[in-house]
Amino acid sequence: MSRLLQWRGHAWVSLVLRLYLGGVFLAACFHKILHPGAFALDIATYQILPLQLVNLQAIVLPWVELLAGVMLVVGFRTRAAALLIDAMMVMFIVAISIALGNGLEMGCGCFASEGGDDPISWHTVLRDAIWLAMGLYILLLDSNPLGVDRLLRNKRNNA
Amino acid sequence: MRGLTMVRDAALVVALSFALGLGYNAVHSEAIPVVAKVPYRILVPCPVEGGEVVPLEATEVRWDGSDLVLDARGAAEAATWSPPGARSVPYDFLDPIADATVADLVAVPVERVVVVGDGLVPDCGEEMGKELSGKGVRNVHFVRGGAPAVRAQLEGRQP
Repeated sequence: MSRLLQWRGHAWVSLVLRLYLGGVFLAACFHKILHPGAFALDIATYQILPLQLVNLQAIVLPWVELLAGVMLVVGFRTRAAALLIDAMMVMFIVAISIALGNGLEMGCGCFASEGGDDPISWHTVLRDAIWLAMGLYILLLDSNPLGVDRLLRNKRNNA
Repeated sequence: MRGLTMVRDAALVVALSFALGLGYNAVHSEAIPVVAKVPYRILVPCPVEGGEVVPLEATEVRWDGSDLVLDARGAAEAATWSPPGARSVPYDFLDPIADATVADLVAVPVERVVVVGDGLVPDCGEEMGKELSGKGVRNVHFVRGGAPAVRAQLEGRQP
């Protein structure tokens, strides 16, 4: 088990996953940042959050996606970024599952809010579960991420 | 210790996201109130207790009169453009289709009833088709992609 955890290839596998996941979250955040009203409507449509929290989530969440996405891509505080990504994925999976359980037919609101593209289904849940697994890989197995974190660590060790 | 650092970093990112989100929202042209005061008008129909409705591609619609084509979109959209020969029957997600309308449709001697909606999710054409089918109209179809797909097909371009 410890040999598996210490395998040096994790950093490279993780790098590929980080670039992919980071790209997904960067692609997801821009429309939400530019059009918070449309994203708030998407959140309200899930009928889970109380009205008082809908707009606040619409304002803040896309910025968490942006920052976490950038951090994953450049490898800065990588595990913290992976933790945030995983927390968001769990939140999305729960929200979509509840909506599906309630029989709601609606757009996902994951990437853009333009007329209900990307309707939710159990495929959406499966997709998010795969992204969650990728995030967990980065979080649990990449102890020395390639990128800014490794540069800073090397600099500290050389000092 | 590393776990605590990771959680602290994640919390800092969330705090920074609050600051960036609220700051950007304060100057954004599409700003929304931080706390919504009026409930969002969400339109998520409960699953219609309807009958079977068969999806069609736009290319499969017959324009020779053997299909009764219904335009389920609102009157304003239908006035802008409507499929040739289509009968405008605006579908209201909240109100059931009037029995008189159903009786009219049943009386038309056609092989198929084809409902053209807006192509969104949920598609008003599909929902109307389900309701009509559930109320006894036979051989009801809806067009995948709705009016935009039909228009693109008739005008010879990609939808």
